Amino acid sequence: MARHAPNGIVQAMQLLRLQGTPYRRVIPSLRPTARFYATETEPQTPSTEALPEQTAEPQLEVRPAPEINFAKFQQRPARIVPASRAYFSGNPRFIDHVLNLEHLQQKYASLPQVPAGEAPRMAWFKLAQFRDFVGEAVPVKKYRSLLKLLQQLNRIEPGIAPQEVRTAISVFLRPGNPYAKEHTPREVDENGCARAKGKRKTSTAVVQLVEGEGEVLVNGRSIVDVFPRVDDREKALWALRSTERIDKYNVWVRVHGGGSTGQAEAITLAIGRALMLHEPGLKPVLRKAGAITVDARRVERKKPGHVKARKMPTWVKR
Amino acid sequence: MIVRQFGVRQSRQLLALSRRAPVSARFLSTETAVETPVTSSPESSVPSINSPLESGSTQSKQSLTESEQRWRKWEASKNAFHKLGSTTKDSYEPVPLSASEITLEHLLAAGTHMGHSTSRWNPQNSRYIFGIREGVHIISLDVTAAYLRRAAKVVEEVAARGGIILFAGTRKGQKRSVVGAAHLAKGYHIFERWIPGSLTNGEQILGHCETKVVNAFDEELPEFKNDLQDRPVVKPDLVVVLNPLENVVLLHECGLNNVPTIGIIDTDADPTRVTYPIPANDDSLRSTDLIAGVLGRAGQAGQNRRLQDAKDGKFSYQPVSADWLRLDPFTGMPLEAEQQKKK
Repeated sequence: MARHAPNGIVQAMQLLRLQGTPYRRVIPSLRPTARFYATETEPQTPSTEALPEQTAEPQLEVRPAPEINFAKFQQRPARIVPASRAYFSGNPRFIDHVLNLEHLQQKYASLPQVPAGEAPRMAWFKLAQFRDFVGEAVPVKKYRSLLKLLQQLNRIEPGIAPQEVRTAISVFLRPGNPYAKEHTPREVDENGCARAKGKRKTSTAVVQLVEGEGEVLVNGRSIVDVFPRVDDREKALWALRSTERIDKYNVWVRVHGGGSTGQAEAITLAIGRALMLHEPGLKPVLRKAGAITVDARRVERKKPGHVKARKMPTWVKR
Repeated sequence: MIVRQFGVRQSRQLLALSRRAPVSARFLSTETAVETPVTSSPESSVPSINSPLESGSTQSKQSLTESEQRWRKWEASKNAFHKLGSTTKDSYEPVPLSASEITLEHLLAAGTHMGHSTSRWNPQNSRYIFGIREGVHIISLDVTAAYLRRAAKVVEEVAARGGIILFAGTRKGQKRSVVGAAHLAKGYHIFERWIPGSLTNGEQILGHCETKVVNAFDEELPEFKNDLQDRPVVKPDLVVVLNPLENVVLLHECGLNNVPTIGIIDTDADPTRVTYPIPANDDSLRSTDLIAGVLGRAGQAGQNRRLQDAKDGKFSYQPVSADWLRLDPFTGMPLEAEQQKKK
């Protein structure tokens, strides 16, 4: 059904087609001028190198074709073409990267992988950095899918991972290595002074705690001046009071931002942290007393269409 | 009775039991139970062949983790036993078929004949429809084959004349065949959304994408890099769409720009939207893969012809000239700097 045995005429035509020149020569005047390929220019005089022109007078002697200068031929521009196969997608470099990574993933799919938690930690480009890197406006979702690919390639057993994969992955790393610096625990300095910071609402407190007789200075003034309310004073020194160490330390505080409640509770947190540097054994007590528990609540922003953060205007009939 | 008991002994459930199964360990392992005088282990004696890993093989054994060691052992045993056993012949190699190799059996096997429910048909497709079976239109395969061959010829000739062929298949799962076809035909691919206006408003959407000037052998000529600024964006010379129903905008833009299109037309699609329809099932990946492969192979044949011509020192198309590239793209006049040089 699919292929009949060709009959005589068909066979003859096929023979002709096979033996004839691949491109039928078209008379230039009959050539359709309406449609040109994008790579073509205006129809100029036929190029002399490719097709030697026949002279008007009939020549009987057979002339050999002029020799082709290949060095010159190679220098000659032929077409303007896109640099990437993904040109028409609008973000060709990104798609080339994705296809390359997918190819690697398929190629090395059989290699053993470590669990996601044990893979070496890599600092991939942030979205903005990646956009700079490829020079294209890559959407968030597409970049996430690329990150997923990178993470999967990164999970190949580190000792086994081929060099090809390693170099392909390392292109997407942030300059420097943010994960290289180790976390150093804070300690009491050589003068016996422990520094710590605390925040609450919009207030920030910096505390320096030294062993002493229980003197407290807030922004250079006595605590009674700064916090006239007893409640605030109690809150500010709660870390020392709950551990019964009010008379064992001198406190020097700088606090700014917010109101009296925020400042007092920021000081609590800062003192609690500083006290932990002096006496790490107090941590469970301080935790139970609520002196080192961070209150991360902040004022919620106001939204459009709302009166406050969440309050809606009252319904009015008209 | 005996046979049944044998089956019980071999069953997997029995092996999965934690208690020691009364099955001889000899049948379960390939290792020899008896000590043999040969002491060389297969790991050390067999060099790893066909291993994708060149690096890291020099590491000492102590530094390897357990899973790495297991992997290397497995690789070594794989290589050791690679040559044993039967030799496979005539194995299936997934190379796309070319248009001359396509038969109706291939088309039938790929399910290209399955149309849509009769209620969803477009009557313009009546000439491609063979009949109705269980309320579904069946596309006649001889017509499909003829139209597919014609489309393949179009792709081949456009490729042979240095045209830019764009393969578009934006459905899920068509990515692989689209990229493969574009790779074969040295064309271009789209497997995600077509950005509307890429042709009609190309300056805005494709303006930042790089282009290059190539010679007849498709090698880049970097000396013309500066002449490419402010040129109009490249437009395709032929667009192949695997799912024309979802890419109406692309087809419309092609129509506005006189770009010929090839599309797979199912019984519910409008065949007049494309220049060269291929009546076939566009909902099955098998079907679209087959057609994309055929067109890719056709493009490959055309490209080979073009490169062969280039080897003979011929152009099968009108090349851009170096002088034209040096002109100002806006005015069509020589650039000011060059004019001053001449003075």
